[in-house]
Amino acid sequence: MKTGYLGVDTGSISTKGVIIDDENNIIANEYLWTEGNPVNAVKSVLRAIEKQSGDIAVASVGTTGSARKLIGAMLEADVVKNEITAHAVGTLVVFPDVRTILEIGGQDSKIILIDNGIVVDYAMNTLCAAGTGSFLSSQAKRLGIDVEDFGNIALTSNNPTKIAARCTVFAESDLVHKAQIGHKREDIIAGLCLAVVNNYLNNVGKGKAIKPPIVFQGGVSKNSGVVRAFEQVIGEEILVDKNSHLMGAYGAAILAKNNKKGRVFGFDVAKMEFVTKGYECKKCPNNCEIICFYKNNILIDSWGNRCMNGSVAEIMSVKSQ
Amino acid sequence: MTIGLPRALLYYRYGVIWEAFFKIIGCKTITSPETNKQILNDGIRFSIDECCLPSKIYMGHVYYLIGKCDYILIPRIASCKKRNDVCVKLNAMYDIVKNTFGDISILDYNVDNHNGLNERRAFINMGRALGCSYAKALSAYKNAKKADKLLYEKKVENQNRLLENNDKLKILIVSHSYNCHDKFLGYPISDYIKKLNCVSVFADAADREKSVVMSRKISDSLYWIYNKESIGSIKVLEDKVNGIILLTAFPCGPDSLVNELIMRKVRDIPVINIILDELQGEAGIQTRIESFLDVIKDRARL
Repeated sequence: MKTGYLGVDTGSISTKGVIIDDENNIIANEYLWTEGNPVNAVKSVLRAIEKQSGDIAVASVGTTGSARKLIGAMLEADVVKNEITAHAVGTLVVFPDVRTILEIGGQDSKIILIDNGIVVDYAMNTLCAAGTGSFLSSQAKRLGIDVEDFGNIALTSNNPTKIAARCTVFAESDLVHKAQIGHKREDIIAGLCLAVVNNYLNNVGKGKAIKPPIVFQGGVSKNSGVVRAFEQVIGEEILVDKNSHLMGAYGAAILAKNNKKGRVFGFDVAKMEFVTKGYECKKCPNNCEIICFYKNNILIDSWGNRCMNGSVAEIMSVKSQ
Repeated sequence: MTIGLPRALLYYRYGVIWEAFFKIIGCKTITSPETNKQILNDGIRFSIDECCLPSKIYMGHVYYLIGKCDYILIPRIASCKKRNDVCVKLNAMYDIVKNTFGDISILDYNVDNHNGLNERRAFINMGRALGCSYAKALSAYKNAKKADKLLYEKKVENQNRLLENNDKLKILIVSHSYNCHDKFLGYPISDYIKKLNCVSVFADAADREKSVVMSRKISDSLYWIYNKESIGSIKVLEDKVNGIILLTAFPCGPDSLVNELIMRKVRDIPVINIILDELQGEAGIQTRIESFLDVIKDRARL
């Protein structure tokens, strides 16, 4: 029986899971939509990769992505890491020489600068999610096409329409206007890709020295239109790994491998019942919204509390009275 | 007589002086509690949308004190020393409160050094308005200043001791005191830094006089006194800390300019800009801080 390490990246739009072996090879992987239910998404991911991996003992688990805490509690993860670190760790294994990582996900976009294998600087979009994956999927829906086809349609355009992408709301009205005055659909789609790139470079990438080799990842890296737009604007080759959408999960798996605590992970988690219940703590004027996380009806974790009044121990002692 | 002190904005700078002054002249004081969700919601209710978050919080604290004291203290501080201005928001609070809540009793004092109104005069006038003699008000002011100086020196000394310790990574939080020490706004951030086994040190606990002098190394034309102190602290402490967090509350006018200035001029040490607003979820901030500390840890290993 081989030993494997599981990494799970639960993002706002998609959930990714990979199992790697001792040589960092991906043995099993799955990518699916989170659909607003991270726990169920992870269960589906687990079922799929269990089938793919066959006879394997998972020795440790790492979680990342915006639901890393929830999923970390669910899988009793050995490592719970933020997306920046997980992406950098994963990418450095595949591209040891990488200097710049561009990443556009569902809600977040980031740039990570690396020098001699060490993260030296990074930036992340601040309060606004303009120009990220969720924007592209909503615009694809508006234009009546699958987001998966977006890139190939964009590549057929020779004359991208100029679209303002500083703000999603403005971009959308610009887009409607351009369609109404007769711009071709492929030109508008290519224009959107270009707008996403310009928006990214002007916000997240502002003032950062983008040096090759440049790796592009996150869900949007699967969009060949955006890749081409990046190459045109930056003027350098953009590397996209075939597993670029899995890089966060891959990084989490590598972190798990490096932090194994000597136990065996059971895939039966996928059959257990996990429930989250929210309630408003009334013990002080903060009225924190506390999330309690139950496994088979047993409280295993809680968060959202600003003071000890809402800690797990406190909630349990109240429940047992 | 009871004077109400809103625990917001300048309280974090002058609270000690206020409490000591009123105690010496024989007035009781009541301070509003640490900011909580109720206070924040009240503050939002009584503010216009475009106001900055700390001033909204201030309104919540004022609302809390209404009916619990005889006067609420709201100073107007326009400038300290020549060419050292204070954000207009801070000297507008008196009028904003007056126009919002109408007939509440406000105690005020005006400091505008640039135009000849110094703090000592202001406190003496305030003391006399409360019915004590010139001499009593003057000695109360002097003693209050002394108490404040003592406490402040202790704070600087404690922080300097923290800075000597090299076991843990030290993060300098550059922020207005009313942001970084507010239980609801900034405190969760320094608490999270502590949970990640790092130490946070604060711009407002660096030597003020030294900071103001050193701020010229970053800019010699800046005129907001509180921002001068905070950017100067970067120059005073940059050799002793591993990273800098610029903590700003949305939408702070002075900070939006000054943070940009810092990002451009401070190049040798990692800097991150974190903007707090009333809707911010915890997860986003934690991701940013955790990854920032990871980067610094990596650099420390170089």
